[in-house]
Parts: sequence; C-alpha cells; structure tokens
Amino acid sequence: MLIKRADRQARRGNLTAALGHSSGGLDRRAFLRRSGLAAGGLAALGALPLGSVRKAQAAGPTAGAPITIRKNICTHCSVGCTVMAEVQNGVWIGQEPGWDSPINRGSHCAKGAATRELVHGDRRLRYPMKLVNGQWTRLSWDTALNEIGDKLMEIREKSGPDSVYWLGSAKFTNEGAYLNRKFAAFWGTNNSDHQARICHSTTVAGVANTWGYGAMTNSYSDIRNAKTMIIMGGNPAEAHPVSLQHLLEGKEMQRANMIVIDPRMTRTAAHATEYVRLRSGTDIPVVYGMLWHIFKNGWEDKEFIEQRVYGMDDIRKEVEKWTPEEVERVSGVPGAQLERVAKMFATEKPATLIWCMGATQHTVGTANVRALCIALLATGNVGKSGAGANIFRGHTNVQGATDLGLDVVTLPLYYGLAEGAWRHWGRVWEVEYDWMQSRFASKQIMETPGIPSTRWFDAVTLPKDQVTQSDNLKAMFIMGHGGNTVTRMPKAAEGMEKLDLLVVADPHPTTWAHLSERKNGTYLLPIATSYETAGSRTASNRAIQWGEQIVKPIFESKDDNEVMYLLAKKLGFADRMFKNIKVENNLPVVEDILREINRGGWSTGYCGQSPERLKTHMANQKDFDMLTQKATTGPAKGDYYGLPWPCWGTPEFKHPGTPLLYNTNLSVMEGGGTFRPRFGVEREETLADGSKRKVSLLGNGYYSKDSEIKDGYPEFTLGILKKLGWDKDLTEAELATIQKVNPTTPDAVSWALDLSGGIQRVAITHGCVPYGNGRARANAFGLPDAIPVHREPIYTPRPDLVAKYPTLPDARQFRVPNIGFTVQKAAVDKGVAKQFPLILSSGRLVEYEGGGEETRSNKWLAELQQDMFIKINPSDAAERGIKDGGWVWVTGAEHNSKARMKALVTERVGKGVTWAPFHFGGWFQGEDQRAKYPKGADPVVLGESVNVLTTYGFDPVTGMQEPKATLCQVRAA
Amino acid sequence: MARMKFLCDADRCIECNACVTACKNENEVPWGINRRRVVTLNDGKPGERSISMACMHCTDAPCAAVCPTNVFYTTADGVVLHSKDLCIGCGYCFYACPFGAPQYPRVGNFGSRGKMDKCTFCAGGPEADGSKEEYEKYGANRLAEGKLPLCAEMCSTKSLLAGDGDIIAQIYKERVTRRGYGSGAWGWKTAYREGIST
Amino acid sequence: MGLLLARIRAAVVAVGILMIAGFAAPAFAQQPNAVNPNASVPSEAQLFQKLNKLEGRCSIPDAKACTLEQPAGRDWRSFHQVTLPWIGAIAILGMLLVLVLFYLLRGMVKLESGRSGRTVVRFNAFERFVHWMTAVCFLILAISGLNITFGRSVLLPLLGPDTFTAWSQWAKYAHNYLSFPFTIGVVLICLMWIAGNIPNRVDVEWLKRGGGMVGHDHPPAYRFNAGQKMIYWIVVLGGGAAAITGYLLMFPFYTTDVTGMQLAQVVHGTVGVLFFAAMLAHIYIGTVGMEGAFEAMGSGEVDVNWAREHHRLWLEEELARTGPNESQTQPRATPAE
Repeated sequence: MLIKRADRQARRGNLTAALGHSSGGLDRRAFLRRSGLAAGGLAALGALPLGSVRKAQAAGPTAGAPITIRKNICTHCSVGCTVMAEVQNGVWIGQEPGWDSPINRGSHCAKGAATRELVHGDRRLRYPMKLVNGQWTRLSWDTALNEIGDKLMEIREKSGPDSVYWLGSAKFTNEGAYLNRKFAAFWGTNNSDHQARICHSTTVAGVANTWGYGAMTNSYSDIRNAKTMIIMGGNPAEAHPVSLQHLLEGKEMQRANMIVIDPRMTRTAAHATEYVRLRSGTDIPVVYGMLWHIFKNGWEDKEFIEQRVYGMDDIRKEVEKWTPEEVERVSGVPGAQLERVAKMFATEKPATLIWCMGATQHTVGTANVRALCIALLATGNVGKSGAGANIFRGHTNVQGATDLGLDVVTLPLYYGLAEGAWRHWGRVWEVEYDWMQSRFASKQIMETPGIPSTRWFDAVTLPKDQVTQSDNLKAMFIMGHGGNTVTRMPKAAEGMEKLDLLVVADPHPTTWAHLSERKNGTYLLPIATSYETAGSRTASNRAIQWGEQIVKPIFESKDDNEVMYLLAKKLGFADRMFKNIKVENNLPVVEDILREINRGGWSTGYCGQSPERLKTHMANQKDFDMLTQKATTGPAKGDYYGLPWPCWGTPEFKHPGTPLLYNTNLSVMEGGGTFRPRFGVEREETLADGSKRKVSLLGNGYYSKDSEIKDGYPEFTLGILKKLGWDKDLTEAELATIQKVNPTTPDAVSWALDLSGGIQRVAITHGCVPYGNGRARANAFGLPDAIPVHREPIYTPRPDLVAKYPTLPDARQFRVPNIGFTVQKAAVDKGVAKQFPLILSSGRLVEYEGGGEETRSNKWLAELQQDMFIKINPSDAAERGIKDGGWVWVTGAEHNSKARMKALVTERVGKGVTWAPFHFGGWFQGEDQRAKYPKGADPVVLGESVNVLTTYGFDPVTGMQEPKATLCQVRAA
Repeated sequence: MARMKFLCDADRCIECNACVTACKNENEVPWGINRRRVVTLNDGKPGERSISMACMHCTDAPCAAVCPTNVFYTTADGVVLHSKDLCIGCGYCFYACPFGAPQYPRVGNFGSRGKMDKCTFCAGGPEADGSKEEYEKYGANRLAEGKLPLCAEMCSTKSLLAGDGDIIAQIYKERVTRRGYGSGAWGWKTAYREGIST
Repeated sequence: MGLLLARIRAAVVAVGILMIAGFAAPAFAQQPNAVNPNASVPSEAQLFQKLNKLEGRCSIPDAKACTLEQPAGRDWRSFHQVTLPWIGAIAILGMLLVLVLFYLLRGMVKLESGRSGRTVVRFNAFERFVHWMTAVCFLILAISGLNITFGRSVLLPLLGPDTFTAWSQWAKYAHNYLSFPFTIGVVLICLMWIAGNIPNRVDVEWLKRGGGMVGHDHPPAYRFNAGQKMIYWIVVLGGGAAAITGYLLMFPFYTTDVTGMQLAQVVHGTVGVLFFAAMLAHIYIGTVGMEGAFEAMGSGEVDVNWAREHHRLWLEEELARTGPNESQTQPRATPAE
C-alpha cells in the first residue's frame, strides 16, 4: 500500500523526458542543470523556452489549466535576480529558479524566494483611503485624485510649486522613475528625490567626481576574477546574498584574499580570510593607513598614476599624517594588520573594493567614497577585470532611478539643472523652454537643487526665512518610499503633523500611515507592486533587464505610471507630458517611455537599450556566459547581458554595452573606455611660491584599444570632429539633427546633446570614447574636501578627537541650513558621550528590506524575524544586567528619544558598540501603533524603528544622513 | 537507482534563509511549521558557520523505526515519506529524529500535536503524483516532474545541494579539493552512517 | 542507566555549547585585532567529541529549531525499539506467568474461618468512586499506552493500517484526556489513604511471614498490609511519575527540550509497563486471588471474618471505635463472591 513509488518512473511528465533521463533518477547532466551548477552551454540543453507552457499536473488552484512562465526581476536588492513566475488562470501559483539568468543562475535569498507572497496580498492596501477625523475612510480613485489634485493646486496658488515634494522610489521601473522626474519638472520643482539619497548618493557623488560616472565599475560576476577583495562597510551576505555566490566561488577558485573591514564581525566576515574591526566613522583613517604603507613601500602603481590620475601628490601629503600610530589611535586598527591588508591589496592583483552603506551613510560619506576610489587609483585597480569599485546598491532599480534623475540636483541622466539641461530635455520632450520655465517660481529656482529627502521635515518645520524657496513645504506626495528609513523620526512626526497634504501611493500603508497624530488630509493610494508592472530595471552592474507583468494589479491597485498620468491630467499638463508617449486606457505604454529615454539618454549611454533589444536579452538569457556576461550565440550574440550602460549610439548602432567601465583593454565598440574628463581639460594650480601653472586633466599617454588618438583627448563635439576631419563621416540626417539642436553654433553640439547619435557613432568608429579620455581625480577640486580628510561623527564617542578632526563649518545646503558644526560642538561641550556611551549603528537583515513594510507583511519572511532587536556586546550587557532575548529601552542623544526592543547579546559587535536593523516600524517610542493602520493592511510584524534614535548629521555634498555612527544608551526594560 | 540526499556546504552557507522561504513558497507551509531551518554555530565569533537543516532522509530512518503506526516509507529514490492519513501525532518521530525534522501543527487545547509534517524532498506523499490531495497534504511533488527540491535549487550560494548522494558527494569533494578547506558534510555520519572523505 | 546518565550529561553540556565550541575565541573580541574567521571553523566530528548535541542560534523564535543535530535520538530509538519492549514483555508476561503459576499452586486464598455474616465498612462510597475512576482510567491508559509500544507488531498486522490508525488515534485521544481524571485519582488516593500507608513495624513482621500467601498464615495488619502499602506507593509514585512525564510529553516544549522529552518518555514507558505489571498482581489478588477481597471495593463492606484474617489490627481498631454491637451485624442477603 505504501510502496506506490515503485511505478513512479512511468508517471513522470514530459519534462523528465526533455531532461534526458536514462535510468530513473536525474542523471548527472540533468542534475547539474537543476542545481544551477552547470555552465551556460550545458544549461542550454534542457532549457524551458521562455513563455513555454507546461502541463499542469501539479496542483495549484486548478489542475489541468495551462501554466505560463513570466519573468520579472526581484525587487529586494540590486543584484537583479530573475524571478520566474508560474501563472495559471491569472494567478501567480509558483516560483521556479531562473537557471538561465547569467546574474543569479536560479538562486535567490529569503526575500527573492518568498516574493510570490507579495502578490498574494494578504496585507496589501486594497482601495484608496483617506483619513477623516482620525478614521480611515474608503473612497474611489476618481474622488481621491480629484481631491488631491484640487488641494495641490490650492497649495501651488498659495505657496508656489516648490511647496510640494515629490518623493519617488527605487522600486519604480526605469520608465516609472523617469516619468516621476518628468512629472516634477512639469509641476515646476526640483524637490524630487528617492531612496538613493539615503543609500548611495554619496557614492554617486564621490565616484562621479573621481572618474566620471557614479556607478559600480565592474559587475557581480566579475568579482570572480579578483585575487583580493576588500569589503569595507558592507555586509552583502545579508544585504545582497546572491552576490555571495560570486564572491565565495571567486574566493574558492582564485584562492583569493577576502578581507572584511567593518565595526561588526558580519556574516560576510564569517567567510572572509581576514577581518578588521574599526570604529564606526573612521574609514578615511583606515584607508589612509593602508595608503601610508603602500606609499612607504612603493607598492603603488606608478605608471597607472602617471598616465591616468590627477593630483595623487596632494594625497601623499595628507597620507603622511596618518602614521600607523595615529591610525590606531583614531580607528583602533593595529598597524601590522593594516600593513598586511595593504600589501595584499596593492600586490595581489587584481584587487577590488566593495562597499555599501557602511561607507556612504556618514557626514563624510562622499569623502569616504573618494578615499576608497583613491586607494583603487593608487594601486591601479580600476578599469580591469577583477578590480574596480564594486558598489552594491540596495533596490531593484535604485541605480536606474538615480540615473533617471530622481535626484534634487539633476534632470534625467545627470544632465544637471543648468539651462542647457532644460533645453536638452525640452528638445526631447518637445516642449518650449519658456513654457517649462513658466511652471517654476523663477528661472533661478529652476536651476537650484531641491531639498533632499533627509531634510523634508526640516523644510516643513524650520522658520520660513531659513528655507530658501518661496515657502515651507506644505505637501508630500510619496510614491514607494518608507517613512522610517530617514533619521530623526521624532522630527519627521512633527513635520508630518504640519503638512497640509500627505499622499502615500504604495502597495502598503507604510509607516507614513501611523507615524504622527494627523487626523485629516492623508491619502493612501494602492499601487501595483513591481511584479504587476512591466518595464526595465537597472541592476547595480548597470545592466538593464526587462520585467514582464506577472499578473494584473490585485484589488484596486493601479500602476505607478497610470497614477502619474491621471494626476497629470487632473493638473492639466498630461497632453504636454505625454506628447510622445502613447496612453492606452490611462496606462502610458512603457515601451514608448523607454524609447523617449533612449532619445535623450546620450550622456550616460541609455540610448542604445531599446525595449526590443532588452526583451531579446531576457528571452535568450541562456545564451549569455555567466563570467563574461557576453552572449556567445543566439540573436544577441556579442552583446553583454542587459546592455550595461553606457550602451552608446542608437539601438541600431548595436553597441554591446559596457560590462567594465574605463577598461582600456577593449575597444570602445566592444565595451571599452577611459576615464572621463568631466571637469575641464586643464586646471590652473597655484604653487607654493604663489606662481601659477596649468595642468592638463586629459589622459597622459594612455588610451583604449584601437583608439586612433593615442593620447588623452577632450569630449567630442561637432567642432572637434571637424578639427579631426571626422565630420565627413556624419550622415546628412545626422548633421541636420545637430543643426537643429543648436542652429546658431552647431560646432558646440556635443556627444551628449546630439539627438542623432552621430557624434557618438563617429567617435566610436574611430575607436574613441565620446566623452573623451581624461584622468581620474585624486584631487577633486570643487568639493568641500577636495582631498578627503577625516572628520569625527557629529555624535562621536571620542570627543577628545573633535578638536583635531572637527566636522565642516555650518553652511546652507540644498535650501536648508546644515548646522552640523554647532551640534557637534554642543555635544562635546555637554558631554553627551558620557551620558550615551554606546555607539549606535544600523543596517540590514536578510529577511527584510528598507522600511520593511512589504517584507514584514510577507508571512513567510515575517516568521523569521518577529522582534526588533539591538545587538550588544556581552560585557556591555553584563554591566547593565541585560539578558539575551530580554527587553531593553534604548535612548538616543536627541529629542529625548527612546525605543523599546529586545537585546541580542553577541560578540558580533565589539565592546561599546551596538547595532540595530532599520526595517522595523509600527511602534513609536514604546507604543504599539497597530490600531493606526487601516484594518487588515497592518504588517504581520511591527517593531520600533531605529531611526527614532538616530541623530543630526548631513554630508555637505549630497545631504546624506548619518545612521551609522551615533550614540545611545541601553538599559534593561 | 539514485539515492537522494541533502548536503549543506557550511563554508558556503550564509544563513540567507532562501531555503526556508523557498520551502514555504513551494509547499504553502503554514506559519509555525518549519520544514527547513538554518542554524548558526559560534554565532558572531571566529569560526561561525551556518548550516541549513531539514529532514535528511536517513538510511534506516529512526522516525520510521519508532513510529507506532508505521506511517513512514522509503521511496525507491531513498526519500523518506510518510502518510498523514495514518499519523496520530504522537511525537515519537521527533524524539528519535537526530535533525529535529518532524513538525506538528498545534491542534486542540493543550499543545496537542496534529498530524506530523516534514520535508518531503519535494516528493509529495502517498497520493497520486501531482494530485490536488497530495499537494494539499504534503505540498509539491517536484521529483515526479523531474525537478529537485526548491530549497536547494534556489540556494543563494549553491551551498545546499540536493540530489543523488554520489553526485553531490563528488561535487563537494571537488569543491574542497579546489579551495583547500571544508568543514565536512554536516549530518551525514548521523543520517547515512558515512561521511565524505576529502 | 548509563543511557540516562549520558542523556543528563548531554543536556548539561549542550547548554554550554556556544562557550565551549568557541575554541580559540577570545573572551571578548572587542579589540580590533587580527582575526582570521576561517582559522577556527569547527568540524562536526570535533564538536561531537565534546558534545552530545549541536545547538546554535537561529532566527525563528523557536528554541527547538536551534538544535542542529541530536544523535541521542538514536539511543532513544534503541530504548524504544529494544529496551522498552523487553522490559515490558518480561515484566508483563513474567507477572502473568507468576500469577498463573501461583494460582495453580496456591489457588484462591480462601476465607478460612468462613463468613460470619457480619460486615464491616472498609471503603466508603467516595473512596470506591475514586478507586474505580482511577482504575478504569488506568486500564484504558495502559491499553492505549501498550498500543503505542506493542500495537505496531501485535495489532497492526491484524487490523490493517487504516483501522489500526483509527483505533490508535482514538486511543491517543483517550490516553491524553483520561490522563486528567487519572491524575486527579492518583492525587486523591495519595491524600485519602496516606495515613494508613506509612510503613511501620507491623509491615516487617508481615513481610517476614510472606504476607501469609504461602501456607495458611495470617500475619497481623492494620487497614493496609505491607503488600497493599506497596501497591499504594506504586500507584502514588508510579502514577505520579507517569503523570508528570506524561504531561511533559503532552505539552511539548513548554518546559523541556527534546532531550528532556526523551528522558520523560524513557521514564514514562518504563514506569508504565512496570506499573501495569504490578497492577496485574493487584487485580489478581483483588479478584480471583483471594476470597472476599473484591467486596472491599465492590460493596465497600467486608465480612468481619475476612477482616479478622487479613486486617486483624484494623478490625480491632474499628470495633474499638464503633463498639462491638453495631447494627451492621445483619447478615447480608447476597454475600459477595
């Protein structure tokens, strides 16, 4: 009776036959494939074709109905894992591993493997709601958008367009992000931001200011080629688990050095070959400490520096101050260990640097990033395989949303806010510059960076004269951004209460729904998740992947793009905004949006990735090699997977994408490149004796493969082409377009403004990079700290060091004051470090993401982390009578803030250090606020947010907050 | 005939819990039932290692031996399955299981155990392969479709291997040889009375 | 016993695993010194040299999930598969054999002086209610318990899997639910009769004379003779042990972990079969083994002659207390068999 298995072989389905079974069990080949261990070629043998239909013998809801496979991208980090969804009768019934993806090869982490639950929707917002006298009331989409639109117009009338804040999301598709930025522009404000502000804004600023583009230079899979990898301020084992597949396999195959530098002995460190514990906020001393040994022993790459780096001598001067003794005094890292690490990094090459929030989320975030870049430059570890700055970003499309301008300082694709940028996008959008300017309060404010998302509540609560725009913020329109990921939550709650209008457009109510005592004027709009939305997403490695809509939006949820269209219609600029975008049933056609991006995205090489090319890649993933990311066969042969930007020229130009930035070993047409001379071609330096000299910023005798110019060169314009005599290669149509771009001085039209793509095409045909061939800047003149210098955190546990390493003076940045210096001085004077003796740092858990609303609403994930906790060292816990698993009160250094959570007593954190995850919300200063959520839409797990405790401190370049180094006190509850 | 086994390469496991949620997802396992889990030894200390653990589908399975109502059977692939129809929820398999695999839904008023649930190696139960009844009681039957357990298929670092014992042992050996270290095939001695010599 | 000790040791040692397994871990690694996280990776074999159970940290708030491996399950299995059936079989079958032989050799212990026709109250209604409640529960618990140990080899082949499971399921429910009245019964028995069951010097004499079982001796006894006292203490202690261990198993993980539950089951099983064997003797002596004994728990009144023969001292006490000419001298219409 119980041995029915004997005849099972006969019953196995067709798939078994397809896999080539010989004798019952899975044979080796089939096995390797099914376990994702086989290489691409082998994997091709038994592949399920995309969209194939498999007979449903297995029992989801209905037996017999056909099952369709749809591909989308996991939304929970930037690795870009392919999610393979099995859909039956319009219901997502199962997930299969996407073996063919050259990025994740079937793998997922806890979040990716549980992602189907998101669309189950047990805890999703079901219909639009509004807060009426403290009660959530249902209303129709029409009513909601009408009321919101009227209120927005009223605020616009009274306070001007800058009083409305458009907070976007890294979970938008590229098309959604672009549309959101465009929307803000058409509304008439630069107050348009998203999560990148609080994650990698400092990376983007620091890296772009060094060598041209603000993105990961290499790719996850390329890390397999590294001989030494340093992970500094990152815990990818929890934040980017699938990346560890590449790191660990690389470590095994190369027998590579894997060094983790972090205040916590993280799960990543557990698999490292060496772990270095530093004090939070002392990254620059540690990097300089390494460079001290590198310069002293002559381990630097002199030829590389000579040819490709500007200003390294200025760095040497600063590094001299960082003797091993001083480094140890400040950071706690012993010199001998640092010497060993420095030697590995400089001599066992290629070496790569990996960083995340540990480096970026500081008042010195940009300087930290710059220091890391300088370490790479000094050792010649950029622009080649196995090397580079591998910056792991945090959401599906945070790279894409950054690229597409959800940023207070620029229009899409880093064109900036100057008149030229507005005119460029005006040409792409086909709207008149004058009309666009009329949308803004003034031309001046049109070209002024907006308020960063870290400061929105300051812009609400500060006296009007301290906010450099026509009025305070009066309304927040939030699409897909949590309220608990920004520091200083007690201040945010205050800000919320003062807002006239708060609109939260999200699949979940989010912390915005419960924080503050608002009684009226809050709207919740149910939005489709990323899985219910088609469009492209840019992974951390700049590869763009096309995701299909897996199922139709559930309940009354609407696509982001549809909501933006409807609201634009209500506000009266839909016709202009969607001039070149077809709208079907109120839903803008995503392919059209991407084509518009292609038409304007020259500066960053977002021009070659047409929807058709991206869809071809997605459908033929199996053709791409995991290690090189290159298609070896099939319709995309020669392309790199996802056409990682820059993908130059028009789609027809068929540039394969750029897998490694600044790689001179390849010709530009194969994805090669050089550093970008983005900050002029020469610089006037003042020497010690007061005399001046001009120094070239162009490449010094280096060039990319097949370049016809064997030295540095500036960016291409029509004028330069003429000088070189290459303008003859332009077609007439191209010339006509260039003429149209600038009828008065066509020679000034550059590769980035030429809407024909002709200048790029011609430059590349001659083996040259359109943006020019320059030197990376070790000295990033123009930044507040052109040479990175150490500055103590605002709330430092070492007040004795503040005199020598103070934070920057107070200044007005991004329309609001940054009084970091005053706050730091007051903290030192008041002896805050005595009252709050523990360092508080925050970070990610593998089970949750971001503010955590959607993951804490996912029962499969929520079960794994049911309580907010703080990690504390056993000796600190013992001193305070705190037991592992016991409740504690944590108090913060500002606002008399307090938070109740559980203690996790562990040696993972050193003595004097605590760490807490930032994903929790739903409690506020000890109070469970579950009742404040709309009924049925409360997450499964609630908890105190660590950002109740985090404090003041902003990076001067980007407005980045400081959640990684503040102070707290813990006592048993 | 293949002998199906699990192998967790602790030097690759990063406690990402993908195996745990993949299992929940594929088999619609309810809250409180953990067919698979990840345990970290030496947490936060040098030598920290995580191991993903579920039913190991033992040779001469102790659960089967002690079951008062004889609900267990071993398939031709060496997978240890059980019949929920015959289970009375006595808990004996849990006492005998070296790996803490058996799980019991709470039923009744006093923590009384319902019918035992455990990892099936994604091979369902005694009902007809791929039938609705089988899915509802035991979850998916991937093996019958020529697929391996989803936990291993989705493992983020290819740490958790599932499949023919000889093949996965070979893969593990090759790995250890290539990288030069390996803390062993956790649980194999207990489950299969044999380790992997590397 | 070695097994039990090993188990206890396992439990104690396992608690300290994190500290012990830390090998070269510094007491507090707060000082940022050179750490090679790979240098001290433990292997399973190394850990098992020191520990009987591997435990760690897991994110699920479920302590039992954090036990990675407990090979002790194998020992428990051998107890359950080998030791317990042997103990049970020997104890139960052995006891039956002894009783049968005894009956054949000795026959029923007759009332030597014949019935007097006068009775004396031995157990009042409440006592009898408690006794029978406990007894009925016990029998059902015993049978359903034995089913767990022996059912698979004895009943399953006869009933077939479906019927056997249905029966076992009901048996389990009965076992769980009847444990409550049984436990109450044991507690009441304990309280009710404790006064008469404190061992004293009379018992020594009684035991020396073999309780009068052999031959036709009648050693003196108070209300309970030494044999009955043994039954009492078996019921109180055995019943108590069975109840406590039973509840540990019934409320899994409330107070104990898997090691504790294995221990509990070992105790429960062993006590259970021995208890059952002892009760067989009790049942024997209360029924076919002795004339006039059943009446004590049947009607609650025993013949004065019976009392005199078996509980002389108690009868004397009773008579002294109530006076010699009580009304219960009326002959009973139907003497109990």
